[in-house]
Amino acid sequence: MTAALRANPVARPPRRLRSLLPYLLISPSIILLLALIAFPLLFALKNSFYFWNLQMSPNPMGFIGLGNYTMAWSGSLFLGALWNTLVLTILGTAIEFVLGLAIALLLVRQLPGLNVVRALLILPTTIAPIVVGFLFRYMYDPGGGLIPWLLHAVGIPLPPQGLLGSGETALASVLFADVWQWTPFFAIVLYAGLLSVPPDIVEAARLDRASAWAMLTRIKLPLIRRTALIVVMLRFMQLFNTFDLVLVLTRGGPGTSSRTLGYSLYQQGLMDFNIGLSSAMTWMMVIIVNAIIGLFAFFAFKDLD
Amino acid sequence: MRQPVRLAGNALLALAAIALLGVFIGPILWFALLAIRPSDTYFTMPPVLAFKPDWSSFIYTFRDPGNNLPQLINSIVVAVGAVALNLPFSLPAAYALSRYRVRGRKNIMLWYLGLLMAPPVAFLIPYSILASAVGLKGTYFSMILILQTLTIPFSIWLMKSFIDEVPFEIEEAARVDGAGTHAIITRVIFPLVRPGVIVTSMFAFVFSWNNAAFPLVLANRSTATLPVGTLNYFGTAGVTWGFIAAAAVAAMLPPMIIFLALDRYVVRGLTFGSVKG
Amino acid sequence: MTITLPPAVSRRGLLKGTGALAGAAALGSVPRRARAQSKSLRILVAGDPFYYALDGLKQQFKDETGIDPQIESISLEALQARLTSSFVSNQPDSDVISVDQMWLGQYLESKWILPLNDLIKADADVDIKDYIPEVLYSMNTWRGQVGTLPVAAYGQCVLYRKDFADAAGFAIPTDGSWSWADYLAMIKKMNGQTFDGGKMTGTVVAGQQPAPIVHMYTQLAASMGTRWFKSFPASKAWDFDPTIDTPENLDALKLFVELYKNSPPEAVGYNWFDAGMRFAKGNIGMFYWWTPYSYLCRKDGYMSGKDSVIADKIGIVRLPMAPGKEQVISIGGHSLGITANTAERDSAWKFIKWATSAKTQKAMALYDKYGHQFSDFARPSLYKDPDLLKLYPYLPAQMADLQRGNGKIVRPPCPVYTTLEGIYGLNLNKVLAGDLEPAQALKDTQTFFSTILKGNFLIPYKQPSYDDTLEATKQLMASLG
Repeated sequence: MTAALRANPVARPPRRLRSLLPYLLISPSIILLLALIAFPLLFALKNSFYFWNLQMSPNPMGFIGLGNYTMAWSGSLFLGALWNTLVLTILGTAIEFVLGLAIALLLVRQLPGLNVVRALLILPTTIAPIVVGFLFRYMYDPGGGLIPWLLHAVGIPLPPQGLLGSGETALASVLFADVWQWTPFFAIVLYAGLLSVPPDIVEAARLDRASAWAMLTRIKLPLIRRTALIVVMLRFMQLFNTFDLVLVLTRGGPGTSSRTLGYSLYQQGLMDFNIGLSSAMTWMMVIIVNAIIGLFAFFAFKDLD
Repeated sequence: MRQPVRLAGNALLALAAIALLGVFIGPILWFALLAIRPSDTYFTMPPVLAFKPDWSSFIYTFRDPGNNLPQLINSIVVAVGAVALNLPFSLPAAYALSRYRVRGRKNIMLWYLGLLMAPPVAFLIPYSILASAVGLKGTYFSMILILQTLTIPFSIWLMKSFIDEVPFEIEEAARVDGAGTHAIITRVIFPLVRPGVIVTSMFAFVFSWNNAAFPLVLANRSTATLPVGTLNYFGTAGVTWGFIAAAAVAAMLPPMIIFLALDRYVVRGLTFGSVKG
Repeated sequence: MTITLPPAVSRRGLLKGTGALAGAAALGSVPRRARAQSKSLRILVAGDPFYYALDGLKQQFKDETGIDPQIESISLEALQARLTSSFVSNQPDSDVISVDQMWLGQYLESKWILPLNDLIKADADVDIKDYIPEVLYSMNTWRGQVGTLPVAAYGQCVLYRKDFADAAGFAIPTDGSWSWADYLAMIKKMNGQTFDGGKMTGTVVAGQQPAPIVHMYTQLAASMGTRWFKSFPASKAWDFDPTIDTPENLDALKLFVELYKNSPPEAVGYNWFDAGMRFAKGNIGMFYWWTPYSYLCRKDGYMSGKDSVIADKIGIVRLPMAPGKEQVISIGGHSLGITANTAERDSAWKFIKWATSAKTQKAMALYDKYGHQFSDFARPSLYKDPDLLKLYPYLPAQMADLQRGNGKIVRPPCPVYTTLEGIYGLNLNKVLAGDLEPAQALKDTQTFFSTILKGNFLIPYKQPSYDDTLEATKQLMASLG
């Protein structure tokens, strides 16, 4: 059924003369992007095999084979950061999706006034992550921030080191800031998707006395599956690279409890200026990213057309 | 009996809606207040809401010495430029990927997606070297150009899913009527996909506006953008909360105004390939 | 409402639009060149207090020289990122820059900044003899070259709440004749006492990684006898074998943990300013930190211009010592250098001379738009200036501490310092967070240091060493004066 609904006339073969047209339309974007991305990638590939630390010398100091890769791997920081990154990315995407869906189901009720709520709701998404970082740093402040005060008022115990200072809550606090910013995005996109569910299908299900849960999981969600998959994936990508939030909120601390791959790269590349090591880490990330995309392509986008 | 139940339900919904606004909009207002708070109430709990507005942070950031004013203008130039450069590349590609049988379409789409996932931090030094090698270091154009690595892939995904929703029959009908490709694109397709183009542009604008990584190394003193400007008050010897908030409010407003003003396109444009509405 | 965003225009129009933008970008260089002709100077510094005073006084420089100084201040990290990327791509966008002392050697050896020896020698106004040698040694010299001149020099000192200490009957020596054990014992006694209607906390630390905690901890560790390396920098044969995992460092770290136990728990995430402002709130007994906090803590916020609750209740004394150990004070701060390929070499030098001169430094200290917020002098003459002593009565103690300063021991400016600081800071932070035992933290740090230093070909050290002593700097100063 979904397939039939989604069916979208992929153009029947145009005349032969025109068969090149689509490629002409696509190629500028590909050429531009290749031109922009090739240099840094090749730059990183080459230098990942060289010893080049700007703290030591302005120029590469010699070929060291896989030295940078073993250094990145053995430092134990990489695996820890990878773990934190995966936790942040997977939990963040999942929470944002679930909360977003709940809000979307509320908005779709079409009550008077909800339109205003919906219009305002998108606002957190439009803020720069760095500003969101400042906003939450201000609100988390253990010495007079709004959030600890509210939590305290309702009797929720707080770690004495503050939300950003305790290894138990630091990563969760970074996560919360991201959830705050991006849940509305999910809500709006899923709301748009839900709106487009044909009312006759819903009506038919209602006549069949389907429960609200069944209606959601068997009818509505399958219908907006594609939408959901795309936003989940886009968000997954952005979360995977999180660094500005971490930079402003915790600097990866306390200890390594909120260190992400993005922040590690920032430290290696822009604080330590170890070009060789950060290049190696870049390529390790590129490989991981490709693996994740491969998984996506295999499981979620089998029928992507 | 149904009536009271519905009323109670509606009251609950209204409460939920208010709670939503409190959670998602409240913090923004709270932070914005910081920009005009007297400094002795920055961290007073319980919250002090009755205070005489203190405009000194805005005066410092935007008038005297007003370091953030040129940054605001720079942000506008970069973000508008990025949108303008983005569309001629992403729109045709999205159209072709949606309408034609393109060999390897899936792989092309996934390739775009992979670019979104490339870690921007890692590319800052190479980009800085590249930009200066071609003589663009410090220019607006260098930032606009490199922002395309984020905006084009996102735009193509968003646009393609939108064009997917527009019935092909309309186009076909126009073609049967003898309209040329150019006419079809400008007079038939464009009006139909306009909400999609607008929403795509809105997001391209916001992504470019909010990007702090590229300007960090590509901008110079006269082209630095506002998010980088807020970072400067996060100093070694001091965190000037008032200045941060004042600059941040200015950095938040333009995207917010755009989203509120063009609100009617947001829902229509953000379908991401859901069933036709 | 009609939409006038770019999508509404035709494709051709769009292409024209981008062309115009590219054109505008290309034209971007024209106004810059034009400014250069009107004698302007691009200055890029870190946004510390000295910047506000300098920026407030820049008109004086313009009046004196006709050169228009355009001073840009950015955060320390953005500064590092921008400077390095601009040097690597060979396009510095500034004529005068502030150079971190940790990077001085690298900048000089990479020829990113000009050595100043000849300029100083040719110019008697620099008055090189009127500098505290310890400051120039710590911040501005590398292998016999002066690379920068100090615009703001910091030592570390103890700040305490005077009325509280008086009421509780603590006798805090002002001349530095006390030990870290005394210091800790006093803090332990202060912790939890009630005073002025509130509960006092003993002290406050800066626990954030990497730089803040390293800045604070290394002062304590150096004072208790810890050195980072076997022999550097005052040695004819440099040896970077790390000496982190030592008994004296373990004692220091244990003491630091005790300090943290008597400090607000959230201090584990405090940066420089968080710690200072926490003290300024009034319910902290005593802490030690960089000397600018002597005036910063008199205000309730950074450059807010408003007095803090303890503005007139701060006692400032010299740091404690460790029995039997030579006292060493950390020296840090900001210095100005000239980018190597600037076209404005003369103007840049004029600016540095002006900004670091005794006259301007005094004017900076008297500048009071945000209250008096500058006393970070590197020149002994200013420490004796009666006008300044009236405003900043703690200057004699600050001077005495600076004269015991040795930044090159407390935080050695070795190559790869930043990387070492990163790992040191991380492990120290882990100790405060309770993730690591002190002994294990030092062991881990030692191992990591070795790995990094070997990986960067610093162990064994094969390049020429330079016997970098205070004496050598004094001789250099004499030869340039």
